[in-house]
Amino acid sequence: MKAFLVCAGVGLVLAAATGAQAYHRFWASCNYDAPTFMTTMTRDAVQDYANAARYEGYQWGGGCWNYDDVDSYPNDALGDSSTHGEGGDCSGFVFKTWRESQDTWRDGRYYWRALRNAHGPYSASAFKYGNGAPNHVISKSSAATMDAFASDWHIGMVFYRSLYGGDQIVEAKCETCGTNIFYRTYRSDSSYGGVARWGWTG
Amino acid sequence: MGLDRLRRTSKSGARAAGAALLVAVLAGCGSHGRPKRLLYGEAAAEFRPVAGSVISQGRVLRRTTLGRRLESCLFPGDRAAIPADAVVVERIGVSGESLTFANRRHTGIYACDGGVDPAGERPLPWCGTAFGRLVDGRLLDPRLDVLCQDRKGHSLGYAFVEPVAGARWIGVDQGSYTEIYEVLAGLPVRVASARNVRADEAKAEFDVTQYDVHGRELVTAKLEAAVAG
Repeated sequence: MKAFLVCAGVGLVLAAATGAQAYHRFWASCNYDAPTFMTTMTRDAVQDYANAARYEGYQWGGGCWNYDDVDSYPNDALGDSSTHGEGGDCSGFVFKTWRESQDTWRDGRYYWRALRNAHGPYSASAFKYGNGAPNHVISKSSAATMDAFASDWHIGMVFYRSLYGGDQIVEAKCETCGTNIFYRTYRSDSSYGGVARWGWTG
Repeated sequence: MGLDRLRRTSKSGARAAGAALLVAVLAGCGSHGRPKRLLYGEAAAEFRPVAGSVISQGRVLRRTTLGRRLESCLFPGDRAAIPADAVVVERIGVSGESLTFANRRHTGIYACDGGVDPAGERPLPWCGTAFGRLVDGRLLDPRLDVLCQDRKGHSLGYAFVEPVAGARWIGVDQGSYTEIYEVLAGLPVRVASARNVRADEAKAEFDVTQYDVHGRELVTAKLEAAVAG
């Protein structure tokens, strides 16, 4: 009986350690490096950046991912950024993709590497209202590639504009659906407004 | 001899006056205690059970009463989602002000956050708007907003606090004093602070104490909030 209890205890410790290590392996790669100041920002380049983040997951309040096409830590609880899962959330993903600054008054272009954990100061609602020097509200009919549609609770960027009512939207959607390109009808949804980034260079 | 004494007397008098002046200046400079005025100059009341506290002014109004004060904060597309006679909680504190109200179906709570918009895009008094989704009547997260600044240029953090059962007053530690918010209209309480706001990390911490109607402490906790969604 004593031997059984010892074995069970060791087993439990090992099981916990394995889980912790798996978790730690991903988060250990995330960093807080300074972004790279850029003088250019083309819609093509930004589209590539967003496309590369597909399949990397969703993390509430997050902003760190690698490029292995797997969500290393899915199904975290919402409302808790300390779970340190992989992926951005909707507004964090737009912040990094649009090369924005943590300072809301700066409208320059700052390249954030995928593993740089950054969310930025904007919620979806803040983007929707065009808050921050780099952002502004636009009419939804004029939203072009890599402009965005934002509601009070979500934001996604136009990957391809469709002629048939909806758009291909690249977005960090939810823990179970992760970050990907989805067909959405935000353009005709009254709870969504159009928002864009100033400063495209091509 | 008489002159010397006079000189000594005048010297020691000057020293005493200087010391008194120094004490007065130090007392003035060191008056980091309880603010005597709220944002718009109203006298700040004290919550008796908490020494050195300041009560943030709270009023329950209707959307129609507030008129442009509320409309100027709303996104045009949101106006239809809020009833014309919606109940709005207006709060004016020491360095922040806010409006809180629910949408038509009570599936979410809006907040208009007051202060200076560092990007210069939004005119005073509002610098930010937050929306929190309600799930089973509770917010998923505190809907932190770090986009506003106070009149001194410090980052202001705004967050919702959900009152626990029996709570009537919410206290937020502002360093040298505690700011007290009354729980009103059954809505989450929008609190503001310039303390422990890390705008560059989009995070903030609030030291929150909840009191019952008699001012007895119910809960003391640190609210760690992050911008998200």
